[in-house]
Amino acid sequence: MKVSNYQMFWLINISSMIIVSYLPIRLAAEISHQDAWICIVLGSMIMMIATWVILRVCKQNKDKTLVNFIKDLLGTVLGKIIVAVYFLNWFMQLSLISKGTVEFQNLVMLHNTPMIVILICLLFLVAYAVYKGGITAISRCAEVIGPFFVVILFVQLFLNPQDMDIKRILPIYTDSGWIHILKGTFISFNYLVDPSIILMLFFFAENKRTASRAILWGTATSMLWGILATLVLLFVTGPQMAANLVVPVYTLTKFVSILNFVQNIDAFYIPLWLFGAFIKLAVCLFILSYGLSEWTGFKNWKLIAWLTTCLWLSYVLYSSYNIRISFTLKNSLLIGFFYPFIYIVMPLILWMISSIRQRGKAKSIG
Amino acid sequence: MTRSVLLTIVFLLLVLSSSGCTDFVEPNQLAFVIGTGVDHVEDGTMEVSQQIVIPSQLSGQAESSGNSNSFVVMSAKGRGIFEASQKIQKKMSRRVMTSHRILNAISEEFLIKNDGRKLFDKLNRDPANNLRDITVLIKGRSAKDYLMLKHPIERLSSISSGKELQINGLRRFSTRQFILDSLSEGIRPLLPVLEIKDFKENDKKTDPIAVLSGFAALNKKLKVKGILDVDESSAVIWMAGKGSFHAITIPWKNGKGILAFRLTHLQRRIRSVHGNDLKRIILTVKAQAYLIENTTSLDMSEVDNMIEVQKYVNEEIQKEFQITMNKVQQWETDVIGIGEHLHRKYPYWWKAQKDDWDDNFKKVQVTVKSNIRLKSVGTSGGQIK
Repeated sequence: MKVSNYQMFWLINISSMIIVSYLPIRLAAEISHQDAWICIVLGSMIMMIATWVILRVCKQNKDKTLVNFIKDLLGTVLGKIIVAVYFLNWFMQLSLISKGTVEFQNLVMLHNTPMIVILICLLFLVAYAVYKGGITAISRCAEVIGPFFVVILFVQLFLNPQDMDIKRILPIYTDSGWIHILKGTFISFNYLVDPSIILMLFFFAENKRTASRAILWGTATSMLWGILATLVLLFVTGPQMAANLVVPVYTLTKFVSILNFVQNIDAFYIPLWLFGAFIKLAVCLFILSYGLSEWTGFKNWKLIAWLTTCLWLSYVLYSSYNIRISFTLKNSLLIGFFYPFIYIVMPLILWMISSIRQRGKAKSIG
Repeated sequence: MTRSVLLTIVFLLLVLSSSGCTDFVEPNQLAFVIGTGVDHVEDGTMEVSQQIVIPSQLSGQAESSGNSNSFVVMSAKGRGIFEASQKIQKKMSRRVMTSHRILNAISEEFLIKNDGRKLFDKLNRDPANNLRDITVLIKGRSAKDYLMLKHPIERLSSISSGKELQINGLRRFSTRQFILDSLSEGIRPLLPVLEIKDFKENDKKTDPIAVLSGFAALNKKLKVKGILDVDESSAVIWMAGKGSFHAITIPWKNGKGILAFRLTHLQRRIRSVHGNDLKRIILTVKAQAYLIENTTSLDMSEVDNMIEVQKYVNEEIQKEFQITMNKVQQWETDVIGIGEHLHRKYPYWWKAQKDDWDDNFKKVQVTVKSNIRLKSVGTSGGQIK
């Protein structure tokens, strides 16, 4: 299973963009109002650095996935525990995105269809893609969906020029102050992208020397979109309204009215978001099941994929009955400890150890 | 064999459900709401009226607007909008769909006796709403009466009002703008006011129709503080930076004849007289003027006359706008958005002001200046006598 650079770009890009469009803008706007875009800019910078660090780690261990190289770096027991934390994160991402997608469908379009029907359809599709072709199939899909997805999402930002008022983001900084801006940043950046998937995906890159460029570009494109989307949202709705929107990007599509004729285009965007969510979920499911198979030593990762899907389905169903479990976005433990640990602290530690090791190796050879 | 049968079943299921067939409502099962009205009911609830088009009447030729109705108004009472709408739904054979609505009408009485802000939550929370529609205030009568009116040209009263605002360059009065203005600290909303008046269509027929009779200046709590007439509101809209077109007719100095202009490219500038001392503000209105009518004895092909006319127009506008501005200031509601402008320009100063801006707005000394440039005298130089 190999992924070309072009495919890698789309894989990373789509899976980042789908989260950017879903969570961070709203979390940032809630706290820092018209300075939400500063939060997203800062968050993007943090995430770009995190991605870069992770890529350094991957390059140093390019012939292994996270599960295997972490054993070399930290020892078997500690390595396995840390990897389990990553598994937990990917599983949470899976349930978060799938639940968000399905509940959104229920809210805006399919009022009477039972949630479980939509959920099973979505999960079946994802699991089937993973089962049939693994990362090869997913990256092919990404390659096809990607250009449409990205172009149309970028186009969306320029569809309501008549409603935009650039002055709505003024005054910059003064109203919220740095405490609110930083707070907004620290909450929202966790949901900006998920750089940890690279730790697994990089192993499958065909050309390891140039893959990192594709990954960085993929992340940067989605970050750029995130910043533009936040600005456009603020231009159109102003800070007070933006702070209360739960699905801001969807609300933006509802305002579009081109020459009083092209309206209600949200029905056109919803399937597109479904495509994006499909790629993101498939990537997560693949790396989770492949990682689990390496972690347990059980070779048949396709079976693990099906089992994971069953677990995932039951977890989403269970969590939808328990409101406290299903709304963990602003959980201080997750935001203050869990995400920073897996996105920033852990990659830094791995990078340090791996650098020291390689230097040691170079010395011993020399 | 079993494998292919199984696959076929799975795919059929997927195709049916993924295309949303389980939850699909055919267009002929939908009732399209074009206008919604909200009225006050004495027991503290509200009455919601939906103006719904009858599609079978729409497909016919123009004669249908004459005799038969092309719409129906359904109304129901409820404690909230949703309760009332559900009661309407119960009476309907079709699913009520509000995504294509173009107008929300609120009666004046409703705003006087209720907190209008409670309407916003439903508008913003329920995805069945689009905030592209316009919100208007119905003066004197109920919103339900308004929705029931026929219009001689358009099929529905709400379509006619929507077009009326649109064609007269008043595009910035959508519900979204209304909500934004009322949420914002430094600007108060302006609502278009419709009044129902008798209109003589021809020798035989006189029908009531709704016409735009001005704009209402609301305060933070959405109470009407005053209603501007058509000329005043045109001035206020321009000063608020929301206008795109203005027409003005002024009598000439000696009282003989008039001059009429079409003004385009409307702009406004706000600045303080001395830097950070924000007690005295200068508001400058800018526009390009096109002379449309001239019944004075002035020969407009003369440059001296052009300069004099331009100077005189500026003086007159300044005078007229200053009076309107003073009137708005007396109402203690900043519909012009001076507060919001100063908020963006002097954010630290604003922090001390925002809590009682309505009161402070009255104390600010606002001077209106005018900077109109005469662009063209039309296609006739001197007069044709």
